[in-house]
Amino acid sequence: MDDQRVVTGRTVADVVRLAVRALVHVVLGGTALLTIATVVSVLGPTLALDLYTPAVAAWWTVFTAVVVQGVPFLLLGTVVSAAIGAFVPERVFRRLLPRNQALAVPVAGAAGVVLPGCECASVPVAGSLMRRGVAPAAALAFLLSAPAINPVVLVATSIAFPGQPAMVGARLVASLAAAVVMGWLWARFGKDEWLRLPRTRTAPEASSRGWAGFVAGLRHDFLHAGGFLVVGAGAAAAFNIAVPRSVLDVFTDSAWLSVLLLAVLAVVLCVCSEADAFVAASLSGFSPTARLAFMVVGPMVDLKLIALQTGTFGRAFAVRFASVTWVVAVASSVLVGWWLL
Amino acid sequence: MRRYGPAVLLALTGAAVLRISLFGDLYLRYVQPGLRPYLIVSGAVLVLLAVVTTATTARAAREAAGEDRGFERDLGPAPDDRPADDHAPDHAHTHGPAGPRFAWLLTLPALALLLFPPPALGSYSAEREAAQRAAQGVGTFPALPSGDPVELTLAEFGSRAVHDSGRSLTGRTVRLTGFVTRDDDGAWYVNRLQVSCCAADATTGKAEIRGFGAPPADTWVTVTGTWHPEGALGSDAAWPPVLDATDVRRVEQPANPYEKR
Repeated sequence: MDDQRVVTGRTVADVVRLAVRALVHVVLGGTALLTIATVVSVLGPTLALDLYTPAVAAWWTVFTAVVVQGVPFLLLGTVVSAAIGAFVPERVFRRLLPRNQALAVPVAGAAGVVLPGCECASVPVAGSLMRRGVAPAAALAFLLSAPAINPVVLVATSIAFPGQPAMVGARLVASLAAAVVMGWLWARFGKDEWLRLPRTRTAPEASSRGWAGFVAGLRHDFLHAGGFLVVGAGAAAAFNIAVPRSVLDVFTDSAWLSVLLLAVLAVVLCVCSEADAFVAASLSGFSPTARLAFMVVGPMVDLKLIALQTGTFGRAFAVRFASVTWVVAVASSVLVGWWLL
Repeated sequence: MRRYGPAVLLALTGAAVLRISLFGDLYLRYVQPGLRPYLIVSGAVLVLLAVVTTATTARAAREAAGEDRGFERDLGPAPDDRPADDHAPDHAHTHGPAGPRFAWLLTLPALALLLFPPPALGSYSAEREAAQRAAQGVGTFPALPSGDPVELTLAEFGSRAVHDSGRSLTGRTVRLTGFVTRDDDGAWYVNRLQVSCCAADATTGKAEIRGFGAPPADTWVTVTGTWHPEGALGSDAAWPPVLDATDVRRVEQPANPYEKR
């Protein structure tokens, strides 16, 4: 009897506490909202007109466009990664991939063909592969190759460069080579402490498997990566507006400079890998090798990707990995361009 | 309330994506038309995910409340030892039950799309970018479609004017639609941006209009006229192509402000 009364008392106290808290929230929130609304409606119009220059409007549009364009691919990537995390047991990957890391890297790189998306999709998938026990070197080779060598991107490339099948082949070879080299470099020199993965997911908890785990993983990965996509989109839009393309004409004369310039441009423009071939085709003043470098570097290193990788793997990893990948991708495009183009 | 943060974020993002793709043509300001089905599916999945998240969060909260009441006094407050349930991801990176902190940045584009959708790119971008010429060399083109006047995209008009050794534009009346930009010396152009994936990769197609006074910048016009050849084929002097206008008409901005490349 006493127990029951205590419980009832607690419940009533709970309800009262909850009601008071809700009231406080409403009053505080309402006051804050009213204040903001008043200030905005008084100062807003004049301030907005001053700040809303054509450049800001264009930034706003490009920023929104990069986010809108990234959302479906990010969602595809997180659906695949959550499904891997929730439904695919670790032994599947152990059986599919050669045990020897040096062999697993090219296999994983070539497996990039199966993920038809742009680079936003591959980051969460690679993170999920690592959590499922795939060697980081192999997962990273997949991360780099998937956005560059999947069929959608290769078809787009062949449409953008009509009558130049060599360009499609060169892109495939150069991207795959760079991805595999990066995987080997990681296997040889990489340190696991640079990677910061959500470690608890590797433990087989009840809640991380099955449908509940799928939903939890999907929600977490999408929100997390989505926030970083917004950061990357903001940076990409800023460079898109700040760097006029006419600057490029200055550098078209020197073969070496033009390769480096387009490789830097690929990093700051963050054009989606399914569209970068069209941009590369429109940079008509540049040598084929320079344009190849643009298409090989873009899906592997750009501001949006660095932001996404920072979110998924940590800053220590993203900085090292992105800079080395840039060098390897440029070297690979120069060699393949000299050989095939 | 904080624990419902993820659900609110997902619902906001999903609603924003659905608003521009399912309930209108606004998505055409940002991405190419082919992306629409993917946007609709993404928006629906996000809203569904928000609903499921709300349900599981509410259930987990009820269960956690029951647990607290039963065990608090016996075990002492030790929230870290409690079995992880999926509304409180205990990852190595730092975020509480409200989900990843960076995720709140998603509210920025989501609210923008819901409340003040940014405009399509216009004359500012067209004037900034050096107009891109089609990459191919001089050659022959397939015959122009029939029709008088024949509707052409600015990209097609430009590449035929500069690169077509068959001179298929000669003697044809063409009609172009785009927005106006003006030079300081009085020349004016009709422009259209080409987008292959999203507005970040926009390039400019343009044609100089002669024979009519310049409308204000950024107004949308449909111009009818004939091609005025200038300079040798494929040379810099042939760019931008020139149209002798016989009719200039103001029009509304088309649903798709860009041309597909």
